[in-house]
This record gives sequence, C-alpha cells and structure tokens, in this order.
Amino acid sequence: MSSKAKGASPGGGDRINSELFTLTYGALVRHLLLDLESPEEVNKQLDKMGQNIGIRLVDDFLAKTNTGRCRNFREAAKTIAETGFRMFLGCSAKVTQIDDKECKMVLSENPLTDFVELPEKLQPLSYCSLLCGVIRGALEQISMKVECEISKDPLKGDERFELHMRLVEYVNEEYPFKDD
Amino acid sequence: MLLSLYIVNKSGGLIYHRDFSSLAKLDTNDTLRLGSIWHSLHAISSQLSPVPGCKGIELLQAETFDLHNFQTPTGIKFFAVAECNSQGVDRFLKRVYGLYADYVLKNPFYELDMPIRCELFDLQLTSEVTLTMNA
Amino acid sequence: MSQRGSVLPPLVDRHILTSKTRNDVGVGAFAFLFSEIVQYSQTRVSNVSELERKLADVGFDVGVRMLELLVHREKAGKRENRILGILSFLHTNVWKNLFGKTADSLERGTSADDEYMISDHDLLVNRFISVPRDMGHLNCGAFAAGIVEGVLKSSGFPARVTAHSVTSEGLSRPKTTILIKFSPEVIERDERLGS
Repeated sequence: MSSKAKGASPGGGDRINSELFTLTYGALVRHLLLDLESPEEVNKQLDKMGQNIGIRLVDDFLAKTNTGRCRNFREAAKTIAETGFRMFLGCSAKVTQIDDKECKMVLSENPLTDFVELPEKLQPLSYCSLLCGVIRGALEQISMKVECEISKDPLKGDERFELHMRLVEYVNEEYPFKDD
Repeated sequence: MLLSLYIVNKSGGLIYHRDFSSLAKLDTNDTLRLGSIWHSLHAISSQLSPVPGCKGIELLQAETFDLHNFQTPTGIKFFAVAECNSQGVDRFLKRVYGLYADYVLKNPFYELDMPIRCELFDLQLTSEVTLTMNA
Repeated sequence: MSQRGSVLPPLVDRHILTSKTRNDVGVGAFAFLFSEIVQYSQTRVSNVSELERKLADVGFDVGVRMLELLVHREKAGKRENRILGILSFLHTNVWKNLFGKTADSLERGTSADDEYMISDHDLLVNRFISVPRDMGHLNCGAFAAGIVEGVLKSSGFPARVTAHSVTSEGLSRPKTTILIKFSPEVIERDERLGS
C-alpha cells in the first residue's frame, strides 16, 4: 500500500484514496435507508455504529501516534481536532471555541460528504451522525462522557461543517477494591 | 529473551496469553489467576504512589526474570515475562499494542473484551517476536 | 439539485477532484467502517451466503459510482466494448484508484471460457480480518466482488462475480481471487466483435 507523502501523516501509517471511503460510506447510508426506511432511524443507527467504531478506533489512534493520556476534556478536544481528524479523515479541524466543558470545531473538508447532496425528502437525515458516535465512543474509553452533535451542516445549507462537543462528566476508573 | 506475553482487558480478564519458550509455563487456571491478580496489583500500586498521577507498575524485577508492563490509556495491560535485563521489551509491548489495534480491533468478528482468537494476530505476533529476539 | 440557500455550487457543477488534489484518508478509517458494515450486515442475515450477498450489494453501489467517476476523469468518456478492455480497466485503473495499486494478476479461467480471475495478494478489504472457523468459507472480499460486479454491469458486461481465498506458494497468507463469470450474451458479443 503506497503512502502518499503529503507531509507527515500522524500515525505514519498507510493512506488510501478517500474515494473508496466516501463511496463506501455513501453505500452504507443508502442501504440503511433501504433497510430502516425512516431517516430518524438511520440517524440513530449511524450514531450507534459510530460509537462502536469509536471504542475501537481510540486504541488505534493511541497505539499509532504514541499519544499519552489526555488529562482533561480540553486536551482531548484539541487532540481530536489537531491529530485525530488528520490521521483518519485526512482533513484538519479547527477549534473555534473551547473551555473546560464545551468546544466547537470546524472541519475544513469532510470526505464523508464528497459528492453528496441531500434530497428534499431526506432533510431529517443527519448524514454524518457516524462522526458524533465515533467521538463519543472514543472518549468514553478514556473516561470522559461527552455529548456530540453536528451544529452546522453544509448538506443542510450551512457554510461549513461544525461539531459541538460537551462534557457531561468524567467517569472515574473503577478501583477494584473500593468499599462502597 | 522473551518468555511469554499476556494481555488483560480493563476489567482484569485475561484475553490473550502466549508462551515463547517451554520454560516457566503456567497452566490455564494459573494464567487466568495471574491476569486478574496482576490487574488488582497494578491498580493498588497506583494508589501506593506518594504523588498523584502514577501510572502503576512498569517493571517488576525478580532474581530469574523481569516482568515488563505497559498499560494503555484505555486500561488494557500488555505485559511480558522476559529473561533478566532483556532489551527491547518495552518497545515490543508497544508494537503488540499496534498489532492489537490492527488485527484484533479491526476484525469484525472480534467482540471487545473477549478472548482474542484472531489468526492474523497470532501470525503477526510470531513475526514480531522473531524480530525482537533477533535484534 | 435544489439550492435551498446553499452557499456551495450545485453538485453537478462542482469540480471532480483530480488525483493531485484528492485527499487521502487513513487506512484505519476504511477498515473500521468496513468492519462495522460487516457487523451490521450480520444482524440482517441468517447465513454465510446471505452475508456475502449483502456485502456484495454494498460493494455494487460503490462499483457503479466508481465507474462513472473514473470514466469521466481518466478516459474522457470513452467506453470499453471488449472483454479484455474492461478487465484491464478493472485490473489497472479501478484497482489503483480504490486500493492504491494495480491488482496482482489477471487470468483466464481454466475450467470455462466465460470465466476470468483477478487476484490480489493482500486485498485491502481482507487485510485485517481473520474469519473464525465456524464461519466456514466466508470471504469478506465479497465486497470487492460486488464492486467489480457493479463496474461490469454498468459498462454493459453483466457477470456473476464472487470472491475466493486461494492459498498460493510463496505467500504467507492466501490471496483473494475475484472470479468473474460473464453472461452468455457478453461472450457472444465479444466473439462477434473479435477477429
């Protein structure tokens, strides 16, 4: 597998053409619509699948980038924006607003939505719900419970793609001998 | 020289074990025990630390062997038993983490936290062990 | 193609990215997505053949769109009308665009003259997957077979396409062979067009 040298990619690993990824995601969404019919159900399923991906993807990220533990929400959000998106989606995300409990980030490009246009009757579809699930699942594995939603979506007429993350709580690691 | 590898999930369950030599083999029950005891010991060790933020035991040295431990930020422990003063074990454990991320986590037939039964992981691990032993 | 106040130009007017401006994604992104597709598909089927069929259906969609993209971008709309032409296109252009390299071999079947085989020693789709013993002959390369079927059907070469694991001397793991069985009318037409 050739790695295109577009500057060092985080995780240094193999890169592939985004088109396979984009088209595969599109085919998945299409099949979910056929199977489940309602866009709202598809949104839920995409989110669930994203979560399942996220809980595994986080270890791939940590193993390949040699990242240490993120100590808090701020660090985690910045890491996702600066390194995470580049490693997996080949695009960068810019954090536009951040404090200890919330952040917003804007994606410069989004390979999930290349070639995509939402028809009128599918307006309720949140095409990129998978991404929200991935982030939630990934952070859950490092003891952070977050909410994540797409606050601006170019497929619905907005200028750019924006994610809004909110920390719900830190989940303390289970100490096996806690006397509760 | 590597003697054996253990992988323990975040709840202390042993999900993988492999011996690389016929020396010092434990039976199945003992390996399971070792997994859960090590998990508890590791957790307690972080509490022992006089300063906060301790990551727990990374190296245990005994008279006839060393035990190297690597804990991921997600709570999985990769630990290896090796001959005293073996080189490259920590690097080996990090490489195993990478192999786990590839050949276990990307396998749709693997259920998280369950024992690892992935042929490709075994094959890749064998190559990695050979590389480490020959280095 | 409605506007809905979007600031982006209508889809058909947007640039199809050339190979110089296209982005890469990490192989992990595809691998995790595909793994999830396999897991989801398992919940909708009741046996191995159905699972392969479902994966092939998803691949079919990808194939159809990939063809449109490639024909427009690389062949200036020129259409293949010979079997060897379309197979070569698959082996070289399609494979390279999807998987980053050309396929490892293209062969004619030995048992029937309507069969051809494209093989890949390390098919991306199968790279990280270890099929458990109790799933028998399942090959997730069925997804790639679906892609091939989609490309062929859309270019006017209907065929039945399946994926198989084949052990090969000198390879540490079995290669994936995509077996293409063309419909009779395709063979007839090719013979008529041929010398």
